[in-house]
Amino acid sequence: MPELRLTGLRIQAGPRTLVDGVGLVLGRGELVGLVGESGSGKTMTARACLGLVEARPGIVAGDLVVDTGEERVVALRSGVASAEAFGAVRGRFVGWLPQQARESMDPLRTLGRQLRDVARLPGAASGSPEEWLARAGLPSPATFVGRYPHELSGGQAQRATVALALARGSRFLLADEPTTGLDPTVQVGVLDRLRELADEGHGVLLISHDLRQVQRVADRILVMHGGRLVEELRPGELLAARSPAARALVDATPGMGARP
Amino acid sequence: MSRWVGRLSAVVLLAVLVAWGVALLGGYDVVADVDNARISARPGTAGLLLGADRLGRSVGWRLVEASRAFVLPGLAAAFVAGVLGVGAGALAGYRGGAIDVLLRQAWRSLAAVPRFVLVLLACTIYGAEPAVLAVSCGVAYAPVIAEAVASRIAALHQHGFVLASRAHGVSAARTLVVHLLWANCRALVARHLLHVLAFVVVVETSLSYLGGFGIEEPQPSWGNMLALELGTPDGNPAAVLGPALCLWAVVAATLGAASRLREAGRA
Repeated sequence: MPELRLTGLRIQAGPRTLVDGVGLVLGRGELVGLVGESGSGKTMTARACLGLVEARPGIVAGDLVVDTGEERVVALRSGVASAEAFGAVRGRFVGWLPQQARESMDPLRTLGRQLRDVARLPGAASGSPEEWLARAGLPSPATFVGRYPHELSGGQAQRATVALALARGSRFLLADEPTTGLDPTVQVGVLDRLRELADEGHGVLLISHDLRQVQRVADRILVMHGGRLVEELRPGELLAARSPAARALVDATPGMGARP
Repeated sequence: MSRWVGRLSAVVLLAVLVAWGVALLGGYDVVADVDNARISARPGTAGLLLGADRLGRSVGWRLVEASRAFVLPGLAAAFVAGVLGVGAGALAGYRGGAIDVLLRQAWRSLAAVPRFVLVLLACTIYGAEPAVLAVSCGVAYAPVIAEAVASRIAALHQHGFVLASRAHGVSAARTLVVHLLWANCRALVARHLLHVLAFVVVVETSLSYLGGFGIEEPQPSWGNMLALELGTPDGNPAAVLGPALCLWAVVAATLGAASRLREAGRA
């Protein structure tokens, strides 16, 4: 079955354990929410899936297998990263939608140029910048091709990163707090687009600390606390959360938990 | 205002390249051009636009011919400084850690020696050849470029787009060369390479003026032209003003062009 499977991930920074025994499975066609307070290890977990954490025994432990249905790559085995495997996994199999969307694009290149650059990489999707921008949910895509990142609003920049991931041909998308700093209507637009991408066959991991947003679009919700996965819930089961960390998140969300 | 400075600088630099091209075509014989009948001839006399020097040689032609003394060495020095400076700076800025510390120590040790002294030493040891001038000027200036590039790369390395390009599967080499060096450092490097050209012009003129290190007679250099004429009673004023103004104009033009690059907001 096509899936991204992370097993027993542990990331150490000196004496501190940042991520401790995290395992998750992200199937194609599903949107999984990864929630938790700041510093709980969500972003570090996503970065490990992209090989963006210095992976060597003693610092990183765990296994990462990415199976797209067409190819299967073992990128991380017992904490040892395969540079070649991660070379195949990064972008082509697993795309990254960073929190700071505008800053994640080259400031001196137009959006069209960046899309064309990405599309020239091995295994990239075929199409035109206008097509990818339209698929990412940007209206009048032709007007964005010649724009620089600083000429985009927050929501447009976030959709532009989605377009870059689509141009790259990523099967799995790791969206790291993609709605931070966006106004509520734009947030809804971005989240709905991620849901549609999951329905189109992408696997989407949505990292957020906003339980309400995740509940709207996710198929499953994973709760992290102190570097560990403490609970897995269905969106309708949030009020029945048992772990203190999940309960605290529910309670802290207005209109959902104990506090108004 | 700055746009006019940029245009004027471009015109002067283009004129230097044209003069160099004319000199390369070989229309002037530096040995044969001696005529006692026109010693210190004033501008416009003896059929010479800028007159003659105190050996009766055409000042105008010698000004043009003198471009050979610094254009090719200047371009070669810029190449050497660019390769060494960009290479070391990019490596130090991108890799960081021990490599950064080692490389910075190496080029800062080199930079501790005044650049002119370094070139003078090289010319004393290896001879006052144009190739020695070019390489020594390039090596002497490389630390400045390395420091600038390393600082820029190290600052950019923290930006999200570098991490994002890795996440897209772009190789580290391509990220460094295309996204960091080409897109974000080329104007900075171009500005410093213009400074290298100005540096070579000043150094070459100074060495030739001092004598024994630079271009030797009868081959003309603005430096030895000045040395020959300065203090000559009843000399041709154009024989002194010509090389002095040319030197000033070329240095001002290279610095003006570099300044224009910076003001364009890309350096």
